[in-house]
Amino acid sequence: MEDKIKIEFDKAFKNYSSNDELNFKKNNLEYFIKNGFPGRKLESWKFSDLNQIINKNIGELNFFTDLKKEISTNKNYITKDIDHNKIAFINGILEEVDFSFEDKDKIIISKEVDTSTKINSENSLLNLNNAFCKNFYKITIPQNYSMNKPLIIYHVSTDNLSSTTLNSQLNFILEENSSLKIIDIYDDKSEKNFINTFYNFILKENAILKNYKIDKSQNSNIKYSYNNIDQSKDSISETFILSNGSKFLKNEINCNLKGQYSSAFINGVFSLDSDKHHEIRTSINHLVENTKSYQLIKSVLDDKSKSVYQGKIYVSPDAQKTDGYQLSKCILLDKNTEFNAKPELEIYADDVKCSHGSASGSLNENSIFYLRSRGLNYKQAKKLLISGFFLDVIEKITDEEIKNFIKKIMELNQ
Amino acid sequence: MLKINNLKANVDKKIILNGFNLEIKAGEVHAIMGPNGSGKSTLSNILSGKKGYDVTGEILFENKNLFELETEERAHKGIFLAFQYPLEIPGVNTNIFLKTSLNSIRKARGEKELDALEFLKIVKEKSKELKFDEEKLGRQLNVGFSGGEKKKNEILQMSILNPKLSILDETDSGLDIDALKIVASGVNSLRKKSNAFLIITHYQRLLDYIKPDFVHVLIDGKIKKSGGPELALELESKGYENIN
Repeated sequence: MEDKIKIEFDKAFKNYSSNDELNFKKNNLEYFIKNGFPGRKLESWKFSDLNQIINKNIGELNFFTDLKKEISTNKNYITKDIDHNKIAFINGILEEVDFSFEDKDKIIISKEVDTSTKINSENSLLNLNNAFCKNFYKITIPQNYSMNKPLIIYHVSTDNLSSTTLNSQLNFILEENSSLKIIDIYDDKSEKNFINTFYNFILKENAILKNYKIDKSQNSNIKYSYNNIDQSKDSISETFILSNGSKFLKNEINCNLKGQYSSAFINGVFSLDSDKHHEIRTSINHLVENTKSYQLIKSVLDDKSKSVYQGKIYVSPDAQKTDGYQLSKCILLDKNTEFNAKPELEIYADDVKCSHGSASGSLNENSIFYLRSRGLNYKQAKKLLISGFFLDVIEKITDEEIKNFIKKIMELNQ
Repeated sequence: MLKINNLKANVDKKIILNGFNLEIKAGEVHAIMGPNGSGKSTLSNILSGKKGYDVTGEILFENKNLFELETEERAHKGIFLAFQYPLEIPGVNTNIFLKTSLNSIRKARGEKELDALEFLKIVKEKSKELKFDEEKLGRQLNVGFSGGEKKKNEILQMSILNPKLSILDETDSGLDIDALKIVASGVNSLRKKSNAFLIITHYQRLLDYIKPDFVHVLIDGKIKKSGGPELALELESKGYENIN
């Protein structure tokens, strides 16, 4: 892999203008070459050996593509169900930015990377992303500005693409008292690629971030998505994940509650069949007093699918009065399905409230009988029970318009 | 309407019903009384098609062999079981459930499915009759309902679905006297020449409000004695042990 990746890197960035950036990329490349794709030897990857998964499902990977398609003209990936601003990544390259619902010139988009930050060598996928991401964009929501409409970020891949890694990255600054709602929608026409997405959010005082990640279109790609969220005083982050369409998908949310009275909410739904394998791994770091986190993850698994939830709550010695909560539940519809839950609570303060729980089982036969005795057939009864099971999570979505949009996507038109 | 011939049922080799016979005609109200463990709930479960019993004998509903029908097909044919312990179904909106239920039965009967407005009209009317708090219909099915509300919800479902044969499995248990009266009047208002009721109960109390045509005493999986409403009163004063 080493020679191939270096040749492709040189080809991709031979005309790169900034020397600082190029060095930053080269350093990251070195780290990635040294560590490779993560495997089960790493605690954070023990349930999902990405190295094996890529070998088995893709084989040899290309690290660079300059594939462009006329897709930018037909744009049939765009949803009409909700008014929105948009950003579109086509085959990993940012092709469209449209903030037409916002006040002119309010949203600041700049192209820059902070190359001075220490390279994080603990996540080789971030190194890979830094090395191959074509452009580093920073989007700033100014002070006291609340977006009029949500921003939908489309991750589109075209049908002539395969065996390639796509690396994209966005940085967001939410200034004091600002708010931003993002919906991520994956639209895959491609097969057997590795799609690697990093978001970094900085929430200043009183900022509100809502990020809804929708993986609905059925595809054979392998995906990794990482959100880092740094939160100042009184800021709120809400993350929702619908994990459904991809062959493999791992979402990681790393949240640093650095300011008092900041809070983080993470809600997730795995709805899996065939032999899909999905994971959500969270790391909530309570670093100061009076912070709060809440996590609710529900799975429904069929055929030979597998879901993993690793939820970590870290409470630093200074973080008194922390309120941390996590719960995961799973319905296993088939005996060949597998659900792994690993709650990790690492608590160094003594005046905190932290709890966790996990439960899994099959569909309640008595409930099915009750519904059937009222004339519903088995399929209807099952669907109603599963919808009900998921709705509990969906109802946690605080934005009504987006909640209804997601209900529609999930066909939970109750 | 319903004919049960020599019904025997076992669970894990334990005999629960042991040669049970009963005939119910349209327009009749039958009460089955019996002590704990006599097989009352097993009977209602088997009639509505619950799995898990080894069953022999014959049950005919309008001359159709019930054992050939799935639970929902029995509901489509007009059998309704009011549960002793109605289930809480989290996340499922009561209204949506009721509409799905009614429409699946209407569809099976070859009737037009109701739209949201038509359905709402029926539900409003029936809830009012049963003094059922309409606000509860917007909530999750039976979740956070009191025991009495759950039972009233069963009767509401019964009155909306308009079944031919209604089986009430200890509907009176856990009801205060006011709720009992409402439930009873709900049942009485549904009594017609064309439908029938099978009321399963421990106590004579419910039968003060719903006058049965026949009372049967179920002991050890068999009907020990049958009679008119006076038999219930006799049971109340003498207890099950002195029935012969």
